[in-house]
Amino acid sequence: MIKRLTILTTFALLGTASTAFAQEEVIMRMAPVHTDAHVENYNPYNLSGPQAYVQDFAYEPLWIYNVWHPEADFPALATSFDIAEDLKSVTYHLREGVVWSDGEPFDADDVVFTYDYAKAHRDYPVGFDFYEEASKSGIITSVEKLDAHTVRFNLQRPDSLAHLNIGSIFPLPEHIWKDVDDPRNYANPTVVGTGPFTEIRDFSRNSFKLCRNESYRENDTNLVDCVEYPQLSDNLQVIAAITNGELDWATDGIVDPDLTYANQSEHNKYWLPPDAGTNLQLNTTKAPFNNLEFRKAMSMAIDREGLVDIATFGLTTPAKYPIGEGMFYQSWFDEAALQPYEYLMAYDPDAAMAVLDAAGFIDADGDGWRDNPDGTPIAFDISVPAGWDDWVNTVQMITENLQDIGVNAEMETPEEGAWFENMPTGDFDVYILWTNLSSTPWYTYYSMFNPNAMTPGTLNEQSMHQMRIPAIEEDLAAISATADEAEQHKAITEIMVEVAENLPVITLYSNPAWYEYSTRNFTGWPDADNPWVRPNNPAGVHERVKVLLSLTPVTQ
Amino acid sequence: MIFLLRRLGFYFAAFMVAITLNFLLPRLMPGDPTTRIFASLRGKLRPEQLDVLREAYGLDGSLLDQYLNYLWALLHLDFGISTVHYPEPTADLLFYAAGWTLFLVGVAIALSFAIGILMGIYSAWHRGGFFDSVFTPINVMMNAFTPAVVALLLWYAFTMQWTIFPLGRAHDINLTPGWNLASAGNIAWHAVLPVLSIVLVNFGSWHLGMRNTMINLLNEDFVVLARAKGLSDRRIRNRYVARNAILPQITSLALSVGYVFGGAFIAEVVFNYPGLGKFTLNAIESRDYTFIQAQLTLLTCSVLVANLISDVCNVVLDPRLRRAGGH
Repeated sequence: MIKRLTILTTFALLGTASTAFAQEEVIMRMAPVHTDAHVENYNPYNLSGPQAYVQDFAYEPLWIYNVWHPEADFPALATSFDIAEDLKSVTYHLREGVVWSDGEPFDADDVVFTYDYAKAHRDYPVGFDFYEEASKSGIITSVEKLDAHTVRFNLQRPDSLAHLNIGSIFPLPEHIWKDVDDPRNYANPTVVGTGPFTEIRDFSRNSFKLCRNESYRENDTNLVDCVEYPQLSDNLQVIAAITNGELDWATDGIVDPDLTYANQSEHNKYWLPPDAGTNLQLNTTKAPFNNLEFRKAMSMAIDREGLVDIATFGLTTPAKYPIGEGMFYQSWFDEAALQPYEYLMAYDPDAAMAVLDAAGFIDADGDGWRDNPDGTPIAFDISVPAGWDDWVNTVQMITENLQDIGVNAEMETPEEGAWFENMPTGDFDVYILWTNLSSTPWYTYYSMFNPNAMTPGTLNEQSMHQMRIPAIEEDLAAISATADEAEQHKAITEIMVEVAENLPVITLYSNPAWYEYSTRNFTGWPDADNPWVRPNNPAGVHERVKVLLSLTPVTQ
Repeated sequence: MIFLLRRLGFYFAAFMVAITLNFLLPRLMPGDPTTRIFASLRGKLRPEQLDVLREAYGLDGSLLDQYLNYLWALLHLDFGISTVHYPEPTADLLFYAAGWTLFLVGVAIALSFAIGILMGIYSAWHRGGFFDSVFTPINVMMNAFTPAVVALLLWYAFTMQWTIFPLGRAHDINLTPGWNLASAGNIAWHAVLPVLSIVLVNFGSWHLGMRNTMINLLNEDFVVLARAKGLSDRRIRNRYVARNAILPQITSLALSVGYVFGGAFIAEVVFNYPGLGKFTLNAIESRDYTFIQAQLTLLTCSVLVANLISDVCNVVLDPRLRRAGGH
């Protein structure tokens, strides 16, 4: 026994001794994606992982949209942009004096090259919304270099919102990528970017660092030397790592943050502001979902407070209006216009039953469940992927709510892959689904009501409901055809009212933006008192680099 | 000899069936590699980009073409490129993970076997005694424990509640493993909890198997004879009874060793251990066909080889088998 103990302690000593390296550099540790092992792939448009590491930090877009505060965007490689009077082009004024991390200058040629290159390699997801003659979809027709630091993107039709697409694109260094024939499969072993962190260091399957770009323009105010990405394979491990102080910044789901995380250390902090919404997508091409009264009753029968407090552990934010989106766009709400629909969000099973009775949804065959007005029975499944716990709880509760008013609804939990594969077919009753976010509600509603995405077989997940609402289509077109913000606001309100009026989807709640941070090594994090920017760090949240650059190391 | 050739013929047929299943099974699952990426980016990916991605993964061409390509590549020991860990060659990842699994599961099986056998011998010899009546029921219970519960409890207790052991990984993040004392210590320290989590649920079955076989043997004539000869208890226990009783245990040990490359996915997932089980689980979830194929091929080979070795041993040890194959 004593011998065994000695062996154990020897291991323990050896184990701790090797970790004691002197750390002079300031290192910020984060895990924006889960992985089993790191691979040496730093391709900024490889969506399976590398983009999360190198976008924003090593590669900069033209413009960083401050999605929460559109009035305070962050100029990046462009210092400004102008939308033409006729809305048929966008001109970007590029920052002068910017050099790539290998010393080559950045200029308009790189931007033009990136556009041409993306057009020549359509299998490489750079993301330009090219105009397609065949399908009449898309918007951008060409790009022109006006001078060394000015480029103009030409549009097929007037569009005041095309800049949202163009500004978020990361230009590539022409002198590197012109020799890359197969960009999709290119691992980009040497990062050449303009962002604050471009030097890959200490790569292993367990971790790697992205360190200071010596030629970055704001180096004198950046106090962080390296970003380190420890390998972590799932949610549980990420939360455990930040709980134990092995991570500084995380963006993973957490179930009971006060009990399992925040009470472990005074430095463990979190904030969960509302993010994308959660809706029920109804298949409105068939009964009973093609009946507005039925949809109204469904909305009124759902106990949203229960969903928020119990099913989602009190971490979500209840939606106020039935507008197909939660609270993310609350600054756009026209309360007077939306207030008449607030009753649809209140839990009132008696009222819901009255609505069903009046519309003829009664139990005709005496089996205990309500039937369609024509006498055919109602029985449907609400589909949610197995293992998506908060949503499984949500659907479970909704089926109980619906059963309470006599509607025979069941939960169906297919495996995630099968759930996704079935999406475009249109063969479903009800799906629980997220919404798409952007800095204006336009993109959210555009993806929900784009008639081109409503064909069964190639159905887009946002438009699974398949309900065409002409008034919304007109408003969407009107918004992109004007640069007048008052008019845009007016049209958005009309869209919200139309959604509330027609209920193609049942609005539930806003998911939280998962954001956990530790004040052990850094201070200056955004929080509820200082919400200047979206604070979480998954790929696609381009503001995350601004959060990183605003941190102050704690002196130990 | 003919017996062995027949066995070899059988193994070859089994191998062909297995690699065909290895090809088909992953493709029979719904979804493909792109859906996982789509899921993880919840709405941040536009549908056009998804189509592009699907094409990029080479999920086109008929199933037969894909199958022939796969066989041809396999013949050249080319396992392809991982789609999830692009552009890492699948073989590199596979051997990396196989190494850690061999260590983790190997140590765990050896420990479970040694502890279980020793406890089995002791409790059979003193059956009905204090040790037997306390530990035998406990081990029946331990053996019935869900491995996930044991692993999670150990993990929560000793890494989160009392931060004694590291959260996971095979070694420290900054350590480059090498053949030196510091590496060995670090690796051993990281292996304590994962190994313990496997041993705790496994040694019970060795204990029970060994105990029961030994109790049967204790009533055999040769044991009575040995006693009559006046041999020491110790000698009878170890040289006569235990030695005979361990033979069936060794057969099952050979089988367990064959399945080592299946990995210990629960311990590996909970302790973030870079073994085959964890990689395979993720490969299945994300439909990384090349990795699933390669892993199943490795598993097929190791099970077949383990069986072949036990066949050869049987032929060597048992003359009846040689005669049976010869007529």
